[in-house]
Amino acid sequence: MTVSFTLNGRARSFSGDPRASLLEVLRDTYRLTGAKEVCGEGFCGACMVRIDGHPATACLVPMGTLEGSDLRTIEGIGTEEELNPVQQAFVDFDVVQCGMCFPGMVMTLTHFMKDNPQPTREDVKSALTGNICRCTGYERIIDAVMSLSGAAQPVTEAQP
Amino acid sequence: MKNAHDPSLAVMDLPRRDARDKLRGRTRYTVDQAGPEVLHAVLLRATVASARITRLDVTPALTMEGVHAIATHGDAPGLHGIGIADHPIFASDIVRYHGEPLAVIAAETLAQARRAADAVIVEYEAMPPVLTLQAALAPDARLVHPGWEGYEVLHPGATRGGNIAWEARVDRGDTDAAFARDDVTIVEGTYDVGRQNHLSFEPRAVIASYEDGRFHIQTSTQAPWTVKHVVARVLEVPESAVRVIVPAVGGGFGLKFDCSLEPYAAILARKSGRTVSLVNSRREEMMTCLCRENAEIHIRSAIDAEGEIVAREASVLMDCGAYGGEQVFLTTMTAHTLAGNYRLGAAKIVTRAVYTNTPPNGAFRACNGVYNTFALERHTDEICKAIGMDPITFRRRNVIGDGDIGATGQTFQGDVLAPMLDRMIDKYPVERRSGRLPDGRLYGRATTVGTWFIFVGPSAATVNLNADGSATLVTAGVEIGSGTMMQSLPQIVAANLGIHPDAVIVKTADTDAAGRDLGVGGGRTTVSIGAASEAACAEVREKLLTVAARLLQTNTAALVLTNGRVEIDGKPGSGMTLKSVIAEAELTTGPIAGSGAFTAPGTTAMPGCATGHFIDAIDIPVFAVHDCEVAVDEISGRCEILSYRVVQDVGRALNRRAIHRQIQGGVVQGIGYALTEEVTIGPDGAVGQTGLESYRVPLAGDVLPIDFELYEGAPSLGPLGTKGAGEVPILNVAASLACAIANATGKQVTSLPMTPERIATLIAGEARYSVPPLT
Repeated sequence: MTVSFTLNGRARSFSGDPRASLLEVLRDTYRLTGAKEVCGEGFCGACMVRIDGHPATACLVPMGTLEGSDLRTIEGIGTEEELNPVQQAFVDFDVVQCGMCFPGMVMTLTHFMKDNPQPTREDVKSALTGNICRCTGYERIIDAVMSLSGAAQPVTEAQP
Repeated sequence: MKNAHDPSLAVMDLPRRDARDKLRGRTRYTVDQAGPEVLHAVLLRATVASARITRLDVTPALTMEGVHAIATHGDAPGLHGIGIADHPIFASDIVRYHGEPLAVIAAETLAQARRAADAVIVEYEAMPPVLTLQAALAPDARLVHPGWEGYEVLHPGATRGGNIAWEARVDRGDTDAAFARDDVTIVEGTYDVGRQNHLSFEPRAVIASYEDGRFHIQTSTQAPWTVKHVVARVLEVPESAVRVIVPAVGGGFGLKFDCSLEPYAAILARKSGRTVSLVNSRREEMMTCLCRENAEIHIRSAIDAEGEIVAREASVLMDCGAYGGEQVFLTTMTAHTLAGNYRLGAAKIVTRAVYTNTPPNGAFRACNGVYNTFALERHTDEICKAIGMDPITFRRRNVIGDGDIGATGQTFQGDVLAPMLDRMIDKYPVERRSGRLPDGRLYGRATTVGTWFIFVGPSAATVNLNADGSATLVTAGVEIGSGTMMQSLPQIVAANLGIHPDAVIVKTADTDAAGRDLGVGGGRTTVSIGAASEAACAEVREKLLTVAARLLQTNTAALVLTNGRVEIDGKPGSGMTLKSVIAEAELTTGPIAGSGAFTAPGTTAMPGCATGHFIDAIDIPVFAVHDCEVAVDEISGRCEILSYRVVQDVGRALNRRAIHRQIQGGVVQGIGYALTEEVTIGPDGAVGQTGLESYRVPLAGDVLPIDFELYEGAPSLGPLGTKGAGEVPILNVAASLACAIANATGKQVTSLPMTPERIATLIAGEARYSVPPLT
């Protein structure tokens, strides 16, 4: 079975087991390793991609369901010269730690901010229900996201 | 020259240089490295907790499609361990825990390797497993290691015997006499805690090859030199035949402070002649995680009429699982955590690491400290209740201060905890500690103190000064996410060389390039690797200034390094660029480089006070004061955290944003430990939580912003006056929440985690909900 789709703007076709997960195909076949396999069960969100504009956990999506889909992964977000606003906010607020969850965080929050440009903190937390982070304790991520709606500016850290 | 420790020379709050690639999915962790050329390996693991292996036949698997190599006990019979060499990497004739490796198989695909593992014939003769501390210490308990007496002891001096893998003791003063006094109040408490899984997002993972007679191991580790040592030991090859390199690590939290998967991949690489990748599945990570150990703590204290602690006795049982591992070492910590915080007239403390037929435990952020601080601080509040003294007043009066003697007899320097307590209470005066909120829930507030320390020990650094005026720092440090390699180390080197941190290249660990290092953990990276880096910079500076002094016709004492230039002190613009000095050096003395080293400064205990310890006295203590308010629902037992505040001793804050990240993240990890993260072990000896559906870590909706103050100025031997800031934020979290919940409910909180079921049962005061015992 051959499945044809668009991946980060390029036409691709996949010939292989249609039961293979999108995540393993991205990582093993296309060597796009930004989506991470962490829980493999859809809880952690580290493998979040966009399918036809909607976020989805790639670990739970079989390749056979993707005929004609438009797929975007973290590698298709932002450029070396210009990060997308969510990525840039994470840089500005210095929130990155081990980094394993951040590709998924960026995918989820980029989509969320498009639909909810003026969220409350609770809205952002609610949007992150399917994205787990073990390092940061989340609040700095929320601070960064809130800055995008002009509600909060980066905390200026005191210089001694 | 100008003192390099002058704060004005350090660039503060440097942003992380790895953020952009991490945010763009470009960073290649070990799990991302395996391309189409590598073989994939899987471990065949035991499905019983305790058995004699009567048959292990790999021949059916050997000829299967895609299979390249299989290894079993015969390929690596050596034993390893910390303190005692008791641990084979494969079970030989005895299985001691559910999940213990029996064989490892490399094939062209993961699916082929899994199919081959299924084809291996394993037959067992089951033996009843010893699953709990009580069972292991029962008089007629079956021994997990019947041959314990024959094991090589790697660190002499401790008492061992039967299922007691290790015993560490503190004996200072006459506790019997103190408890026998008729003017003391005796307070006693027993506490128990479960395991905690690190859940680092990158599982343990390794890629190994065998080239030119040496093992090349790329791995997700915090301790490359430990991996090098253990691989060599179990494979019975010289350490020089093992090279370890470490790309970005996707979270450690202590899980990766010991060798784990590396020897298996190394054996398969040699056998197959191919590069071999071995990655734990999440299920394997859940079921064989080197968890923070379950433990039982008993404390007893004698308090005199003035509220002084005249004596303390305690015993701590730590479940090390089937092999001694890091728990043997961690018995040491009790002396400095449970017996920390307060002045004690006399102390008798016994800590035992106990063998059970359960998956081995290991190191986890503030190892041993989090539960001992929980027990100690709960006990302290019970003391206050018993003697009728305000808990802040009691702590203020008894915390360790300048010149006080610690449990093992070391002398502490500086008043730190008391002013930190004052700072907390001045900022957040205590109005009440319990009550009922307008919505009907129970309100509780508590303030706790904690003592932790920097795990010092050997580190080496080399600094090469490059022709363009930049510097390359070569150490065995690893970036595990804390940002130390990205922020504090380049900041320290830059401050010492008068250049911008952006001009400092930091090489990540390669044991072929960098000198010996104890590893990234224990809050030691900034301090130990930082101090070694500072020493390397001193040699660079010396060489640089000697050349510059000749060129500028002055003496080195008159020169300063600043803004990438050598200047005559007080005369900006009078000197020359580093580039010109380096160019001159290349013509006269050669390229400039320096090397530096650091190890334990060697603070001493009183002779005879500490037995079986790896660290008798602590070189760099770190203190913390935490305060929180909670609201508890009486019916559901749900605990909401209303506020959480931290005053943390950081020595000196080089990067406030980085420390803020660690405090927020560390406290939240502690909230998970205290309230929701529960590991259970079934009657078959298997861990019950096999994934994130059943192991409940904090989500964004469960947390709150942590208010914090950095306490600067406490004595530290660290570079630029720093102390490690990443480990300690988790230390008092369970303690603070437990004390607040106890205040809210009026009940003695004695067990962790405080799940809603446990809290509801505590409030109801009866076994209306039967909680299975932690094993």
